[in-house]
Amino acid sequence: MGSIFRSEYMSLCQVFLQTDSAYACVAELGELGLAQFRDLNAEASTYQRKFVNEVRRCDEMERKLRYIEEEVTKNEIQVDDASFHIKAPQPKEMGELEANLEKIEDELLQINSNTKTLQRNYTQLMEMKAVLDKVKLLLDSDARAQAAMSISEASRGEAGPIQVGVAPKFVDFEKENRGDTELKFITGVIDLAKTSAFERFMWRMCRGKVYVRTMNVEIPPPLGSLDPATFKSVFILFFSGEALSGKVKKICAGFHAEIYNCPDNVVERAQLGTKVQMQVEDMKSVLGKTIDHRQRVLHAAGKNVKLWSYKVLKIKSIFHTLNMFSIDVTQKCLIAECWVPTVDLPQINDALRAGTAMSGATVMPVLNEMETHETPPTYFKLNKFTIGFQNIVDAYGIANYREVNPAPWTIITFPFIFACMFGDAGHGIVMLIAAGLFLVFEKRIIEAKVKDEIFNTFFGGRYVIFLMGLFSIYTGVLYNDFYSKSINIFGSQWLNPYTMAELNGTEVLGANSDQDLDFTFSPNEAFKHSEGPYPFGLDPVWNLAKNRLNFLNPMKMKMSICIGISQMFFGVVLSLLNHTYNRSAIDIFFVFIPQMLFLCCIFVYLCIQVIIKWIFFWAEPKMIFGQYYPGSNCAPSLLIGLINMFMMKSREVGFVKGNHAPADGIPKVEDQLDQCYLQLWYPGQGTAEMILLAIAVISIPVMLLVKPLVQLAQHKAGKPISGGHGHGGEGDGEFNFGDVMVYQAIHTIEFALGCISHTASYLRLWALSLAHAQLSEVLWDMLLHMGLTMMTGYGGAALMFVFFSIFAMLSVGILILMEGLSAFLHALRLHWVEFQSKFYGGTGIQFEPFAFMKLLRQSEGLED
Amino acid sequence: MGEFFFNIDHGYLEALIRGFKGGILTQSDYANLVQCETLEDLKLHIQSTDYGNFLANEPGAITVGVIDERLKEKLVTEFTHLRNNALEPLATFLDYITYAYMIDNIVLLITGTLHQRPIAELISKCHPLGSFEQMEAIHIASTPAELYNAVLVDTPLANYFVDCINEQDLDEMNVEIIRNTLYKAYIEDFYKFCENLGGKTAEVMCEILAFEADRRAIIITINSFDTELSKDDREKLYPRCGKLYPEGLVGLARADDYEQVKQVCEWYGDYKALFEGTGPNPGDKTLEDKFFEHEVKLNVHSYLHQFHFGVFYAFIKLKEQEMRNVIWIAECISQRHRSKIDNYIPIL
Repeated sequence: MGSIFRSEYMSLCQVFLQTDSAYACVAELGELGLAQFRDLNAEASTYQRKFVNEVRRCDEMERKLRYIEEEVTKNEIQVDDASFHIKAPQPKEMGELEANLEKIEDELLQINSNTKTLQRNYTQLMEMKAVLDKVKLLLDSDARAQAAMSISEASRGEAGPIQVGVAPKFVDFEKENRGDTELKFITGVIDLAKTSAFERFMWRMCRGKVYVRTMNVEIPPPLGSLDPATFKSVFILFFSGEALSGKVKKICAGFHAEIYNCPDNVVERAQLGTKVQMQVEDMKSVLGKTIDHRQRVLHAAGKNVKLWSYKVLKIKSIFHTLNMFSIDVTQKCLIAECWVPTVDLPQINDALRAGTAMSGATVMPVLNEMETHETPPTYFKLNKFTIGFQNIVDAYGIANYREVNPAPWTIITFPFIFACMFGDAGHGIVMLIAAGLFLVFEKRIIEAKVKDEIFNTFFGGRYVIFLMGLFSIYTGVLYNDFYSKSINIFGSQWLNPYTMAELNGTEVLGANSDQDLDFTFSPNEAFKHSEGPYPFGLDPVWNLAKNRLNFLNPMKMKMSICIGISQMFFGVVLSLLNHTYNRSAIDIFFVFIPQMLFLCCIFVYLCIQVIIKWIFFWAEPKMIFGQYYPGSNCAPSLLIGLINMFMMKSREVGFVKGNHAPADGIPKVEDQLDQCYLQLWYPGQGTAEMILLAIAVISIPVMLLVKPLVQLAQHKAGKPISGGHGHGGEGDGEFNFGDVMVYQAIHTIEFALGCISHTASYLRLWALSLAHAQLSEVLWDMLLHMGLTMMTGYGGAALMFVFFSIFAMLSVGILILMEGLSAFLHALRLHWVEFQSKFYGGTGIQFEPFAFMKLLRQSEGLED
Repeated sequence: MGEFFFNIDHGYLEALIRGFKGGILTQSDYANLVQCETLEDLKLHIQSTDYGNFLANEPGAITVGVIDERLKEKLVTEFTHLRNNALEPLATFLDYITYAYMIDNIVLLITGTLHQRPIAELISKCHPLGSFEQMEAIHIASTPAELYNAVLVDTPLANYFVDCINEQDLDEMNVEIIRNTLYKAYIEDFYKFCENLGGKTAEVMCEILAFEADRRAIIITINSFDTELSKDDREKLYPRCGKLYPEGLVGLARADDYEQVKQVCEWYGDYKALFEGTGPNPGDKTLEDKFFEHEVKLNVHSYLHQFHFGVFYAFIKLKEQEMRNVIWIAECISQRHRSKIDNYIPIL
C-alpha cells in the first residue's frame, strides 16, 4: 500500500490497442479504476467521433429503460436492486440487450395503447350512463316550458346578450310562442371547469335562443387508471330549428364537449340504460384482463430494469472513453493516453492482458511510458478511514503533485483541536456512540444505498466523528466536565481549613446581616501541598468555587496559545520537508530558517514563559532563579511582558527592593516594588529579550529580499533559477523580477502578520470551550436541577420525566449537533488557514480515473 | 425609489430570468450546430447545452416538428413558472407579453378556417403561450362582430378589438386589418402600461416597444404596395408610440414605393443603418433580418440594467429568436439545403 504522506508517482502512458480488443481492454480498466484517460479529440465535437453511433444506441436504450422504469414505478411495482459488481457486457451482448428492450417497450406501448382505448370507451360508457341518469331530472316538463319561454323571449329581442356593432334584428311575430313540442334537445357531457364559459359562449353565439341546463357529475376513473376521478357536467341544450343545430354542434366540438344522443321517450331510455349497463360490465372484465397482462409484463421488467441500466451505463461509458482515443493512420489500432500510478503498472498490464484474452484477439496491446513536462494529477491510495480526513484537506485544495500532504497529521490534530472546543465527556460519549453505531452497521448502511445528502455527509465522516467523540471524552476528563458537572475520582487535593464552630458562627452572622458570606480557601492552608496536584485533569473542587472562571479562563487561554503555536511550529517544519524534497537550498536557508527564527524568538519564547510560570510560580514566597518572589500578587504578567519586550521598556530587576529575601522570612508589602508583576523575573531577561527581538526583526528582511535577489543574480548570469515559487508551478516561462518580488513580499507579510493574528486566532479554542461549558451549565441549572428540586415524592418523579426529556432533546440538538457543528467549523478553519498556510500549496489536479464503480454510484446519486 | 424595494417582490424572478438568459445558445454553440450532418447530430450537440435532455425521451427519428414542439414546451414551462410566482405589477406585465401570442393565434385560426382547414390541425399550430379558453370555438364566428360578441368579449383583447367591429364577412384582407389593428391597440396599450410603471422598466421597455411599433409601421407600408389597401386605411394601422410618430408616420402614409419608405427612415439615425446594405441582391441581408438583429441588440442591452421588467420581455423575445434559429438550422439540415444555413440571427 502506498502512503498518504506524499501522492503516488504517476506515469503518463501511451497504449496501442487493437480495434478488436479495445472494448474489452477498456472494460477491464474500468473495473480496475486506476487509469485516467486523456481526451485526444478535444477539438472534435461530440458527433464527429468514431463511436458516436454506439453512443447513440446507448442513448436510445437509456430512453427505453427510462420509459420502462417510469411505467414500473408508476404502477407501484417493486424495482429489484442490482449489485454494482456486474461485469461490463460484451459488445455482442449489446445487440441482445437492445432487442430485448425493444421488445419490452413495444409490448408496453401496445398494451398501453390498448388499455387507453378500452379506458376511453369505458369512460364514454360511464358518461353515457351519467347522461341517462341525469336526463330525467333535466328533462322534466317544467324545464321544457321554461326553455320555450326563454327562447321565445330571446327571439322577440326582449332578452339575450347585448351585442356591439350589430343592428338589432326584428323577427316576425307570427312564429313567436312556439310550443314546447317543437323544441329539440341535445345532451352531452363537458368538463366542469369549462361549463360556465361554455354556457356563456352558447348564449352569446346563439343570441339566447339556446336554453342550457347543466348538472354536475363525478365520473369515476376507469379500472387500472391512476388518474383521480374527473368532475364533469351533464348538459342539455334546448333549441329549435335546423340552422341552430349545426352551430350548436360546432360549439360543442370547440369546447370538447361529448354529445350523447338520448331518446325522448322514457321507455327507450330505460332500454338504452340496461344496454349500457351490460356493456359496462363487459368492458370491466376485458379491462381487467388487459391490466393483469400489463402487471405481469411490468413485474418481469421490474426484476431486471436496474441490472439493464447498469449494463447500459457501463457500455456507454466504455464507448465514451473509446471516443477519447485517437485512431492510428492504418485504422487498425486505437491510441490512448492515460495517467496511471506507477506502482500499479503491473496491474494495468494484467488488465490489458485479460481484456485481450477475453476478446480473443491475438495481438497484445502495447503500453509505453511517456516523458512529459505536464504536471501529473495527484492521487492518494486511501482507505475508508483515511478518506474522511483526506476529504477535509481536499475541500481546501488538492495537494500539488508529490507535496507533503497534511492529511496524516490531520487525523490526530483535527479531532484533538475539535475536542478542545467541545470538551465535555458526557457529550463526547453520545457522539462516540452515534459514530460507533455507524461503524457497527457500516456494511448494512452501505448496502442500503441511502440517498439522503445530510445523512451521507455524516455517514461519510463516521471515522472523523468517532475520533472526535473519543478525543472529546479525553478533553472532557481533562476539563473535568461531565454534562457540566465535575467528577471526583481521585479525591480533591483541597481541604476545608475551617472548624465547625467557625462555620456555624459565620452562618449565624450571615443570616443576621442578610449578606452572603464567602469562605476563602487560602492555598497555603487548604491545599495538600505534600501530595501535589490532582493526578489527572482539573481538580473537582473548582466546580464549587465562585472564582472558577477566573481560574479556568487564564488556564485555557494559555493552553490554547501553546497548542496553537506548536501546531504552527509543526507546519513550518513540514515546509522544510517540501524544500528538501525540491532540493531548494535557497528556500531552506533564506525562507525556512528566517521563518523559524521569527516564530521561535517571539512565540515559542512566549510558550516557554507560560510553562515556566506554571511550574515555578505559586502562592508561597520563595527564591526563584536567584530572585526573591514574595507571593502570587507578584507573579509575572506575560502579556504585558511581551508588549514591554517589543517596546523595549526599561524595567527593574526582581520583585522586591534589594532583590533579597527578608531577614525574618515573612514577606512585607512595603518591600515590594511598585507593579512587581511587570518587572524582570529572571536574571539576564533584558539582554535575552533584546537579542531575541533583534533576531526576529532581522529575519524579516532576509525572508523578503534574499531569495528574489539571488534569483535575479542567477537569471542575469544565465544560470537556471533555483528554488520554486513555493506555491504554484516551477518558474515556467520568463523570469520576471517584479512578479517574484511582489510574490515574496506578499508571502513575507502574510507570514509575519499571520504569526501574530494566527496566534490570536487560536484563542477560539478557549472561547468555544468556555461557551460550551457555560451553555451546558445553563442547561443543567435551568432544567435538570430545577426538575430535581421542584417537587418531592411521586410527583417529582413524574416531573423528572418531563424535565429530562427536554434536557435530553436540548442536549442533543443544541449542545451536540449545533455546538458540535460550530466547533467542527472552527477546527476546519484552524487547519485550513492557521496550519496549512504554513506549508501547503493545494493547487494540484485531482486524479480522476475511469472507474465503473464511481460512475454507478454517481448515477445512483450516492456521490457527486 | 422603486429600485430599493424591487428585490422584495421580484428579486427571485429576476435572478431566475438572468440564469435562464445565461443558458441562451452562444456563438460557439451555433458554430457547432451548423456543422451537424443530421438531426441526430443536432440532438446530440444540443444535449450538451442548457437544453439538456429535452429531446432525450423522443422515440424514433426526430423531425423538425418535434424539435419545434419541445422547444415551445420548454419555453412555456419556464414562462408558466415565472407567471405563477409573479406578483403585481409583474404579473400583469407578463400577461401583456402573452397578448401578442393571442392575437397571432386568433388570426391564425380565422385564416385557417377561411381556407377550410380542420380545426384540430390549426390548434396544434397555435402558440401555447397565447392559448385561451374560447380559442377552439373561434371558427364559428363568421363576422368580426360575432367574433367580438361571442369570443373576444371575455378575453383581455376585447378592448383592442372595438375598432374593428363590423358586420362584413371575414375575408383575408379583413383578417390582416384585424391583426394590425389589434396589434396597434396592443402595442400602444402596453407602451402606456410600461410608461405608467415608470423607472427603469419604462426606460427600457419604451425603447423596445417604440422599435416594435416602428417596425410594424414600416412593414405594413412596404407590404401594402400593390394591394387594395387605401392610404387612409393604411395610416390607421400605424401604432402611434414609436419614434416615427408623428412626422415619420405621415411620411410613411404618403409613400408609394420602397425608395420613399427608405427616404423617410433616413431621417432617423437608428433606422438609417438598418436600411443600408439591404436589398434584393444576393449576399445582402433582408430588411426583415436587419430588424431582427436590431431587436436582438435591444433585448440583449436590456440586461445591462437592473431592477426592471424589461428583462422578462427580452428573455421571451430572445428565446423566440433562438427557437427560430434552431428551427432554421434544423430545416436546413433536414432539407439538405446547407447553403443558407448561416442565415440565422446570432444572439450576442
